[in-house]
Amino acid sequence: MSERADVQIRGAGIGLRSQHQQEIIDRQPSVPWFEVLSENYYGAGGTALAKLEKVRNLYPITLHGVGMSLGSTDPLNFEYLARLKSLADRFEPEWVSDHLAWISVGGEYVHDLLPLPCTQEALDHVVARIDQVQDFLGRRILIENPSTYLSYTDAEMPEWEFFREVAELSDCDILFDVNNAYVNASNHGFAATSYLDALPLARVREIHLAGFAQLDSYLFDTHGDRIHPPVWELYQLTIQRTGPVPTLIEWDTNIPDLGVLVAEAEKAQAQLDAVSCSA
Amino acid sequence: MQRLNQLQHRLREAIMAADADGTAVRVASKTVNATRGLSSPEHLRIYRRAVTGTFKRALGQLYPVTMRLLGQQFFDGMVCRYMRITPSLSPDLADYGSSFAEFIEGFEPAAGLPYLPDVARLEWAWHRAFSAADETALNIDALSEVPESDRARLLFALPASASLLASQYPVQRIWQVNQEDWSGSEEVNLDEGAARLIIWRRGYDMRIDPLHDSEWSLLSALTQNMPMRKLSQSFPDMATLLPHCVEHGWIAGFKLGESTD
Ligand SMILES: [Fe+2]
Repeated sequence: MSERADVQIRGAGIGLRSQHQQEIIDRQPSVPWFEVLSENYYGAGGTALAKLEKVRNLYPITLHGVGMSLGSTDPLNFEYLARLKSLADRFEPEWVSDHLAWISVGGEYVHDLLPLPCTQEALDHVVARIDQVQDFLGRRILIENPSTYLSYTDAEMPEWEFFREVAELSDCDILFDVNNAYVNASNHGFAATSYLDALPLARVREIHLAGFAQLDSYLFDTHGDRIHPPVWELYQLTIQRTGPVPTLIEWDTNIPDLGVLVAEAEKAQAQLDAVSCSA
Repeated sequence: MQRLNQLQHRLREAIMAADADGTAVRVASKTVNATRGLSSPEHLRIYRRAVTGTFKRALGQLYPVTMRLLGQQFFDGMVCRYMRITPSLSPDLADYGSSFAEFIEGFEPAAGLPYLPDVARLEWAWHRAFSAADETALNIDALSEVPESDRARLLFALPASASLLASQYPVQRIWQVNQEDWSGSEEVNLDEGAARLIIWRRGYDMRIDPLHDSEWSLLSALTQNMPMRKLSQSFPDMATLLPHCVEHGWIAGFKLGESTD
């Protein structure tokens, strides 16, 4: 793999979307790294993988997925994990991430990130699962805080405490989604800074930024818009504490021209630069 | 984790239930907090909508022509029915929807478009071919290196990307005129005749090739794992038909089967 640049990921990257692949290969925009959605590359062959190969030869990447179903009470899906492992072997991402959530039970997948109850029982369960996954993949994984639209009556601790405990006890790294923290704070009525106060800072290796939509009586995490001003503010507070952690612009619906994503990434980069200067 | 397991089953049932106000939603609501202007069932409804939206989007991308023929609203309604009786069994959403054509076949409100199930079959075949394993074309000369004594045991394989599709309707034409970049006439004469197609990928080039009777029969026989010994009996023109199919790329490999005699 000598043709691949062996650079460490830093700065503000962009989520790789299939409609931009060719343009990225042709124009090679100045973007420090791309995040690849693992589930888009589970096919055995075809153009998607071939293009990813080309992108990978130009840029460092990370793998981000939604399929681990870490919180599920089903047995782990080792077929899925094996596919993920071979994808990681082939494309050598700097790291692999998924969410603190579940997407399946009874062998049936809903393909949407469902929240765990913040209980000791769920904590013990998900910690054991992350252990198993890290053993199987032979690497430490990053766990992301999801956006949620419900909370359970039997919660025994706040979600930021649950998130911190999961990371500490399973010794995994953290992908802190600033937008999700903001959305949850607004939807469930707590101060978004509670998350910051609880974060084990040294574990935060990546930050996500995205846009949400204001619906009737709640915020919905559409990943379909520019990053909103209060999320930028929370981002600034975050990197003041964590330092200039690699940051990703996530955009999944109504995907705009690559230029719009690059512009958002540049905004994030400016904030990262400011933090590194003052540090 | 018994409590957690029960909660997850209840939540999934509430999300997948057809009735937004039925028992499943009522039961799950008891475990969900009501907050700032949203009741417990309303919290669940957010997830119900999100999940339905995910399935509609996924099948809409996989079956764009089917959707175009039905209109988005009708199509979405059909997906809603389909997803309730067809659970997704893989974390990879790309695996979902293989039985959609069979579902459409039994879906009374779509019976007015009798060619629709075959259009959906074509779209599934296309979807499969798109991400099937990469293969290099079979070199016909490799065949001549098989010793004469082994030839009867030869088994041939279609490309990993290939699907055969027979329809009494001109589905290739229907598919073609419903492509986004199609600029010709959108009229299709349903009496235009039956279609026998192979949907596959050559390199990265997606293909839908119409097949003649003899080509169709041979390729169908190959999917049944028929060895050379039997093929030669069934196809008197094997000596030309086989190289012809190899040349088109419709045969991607061969191996030696068990010797039976
Ligand atoms: Fe995220």
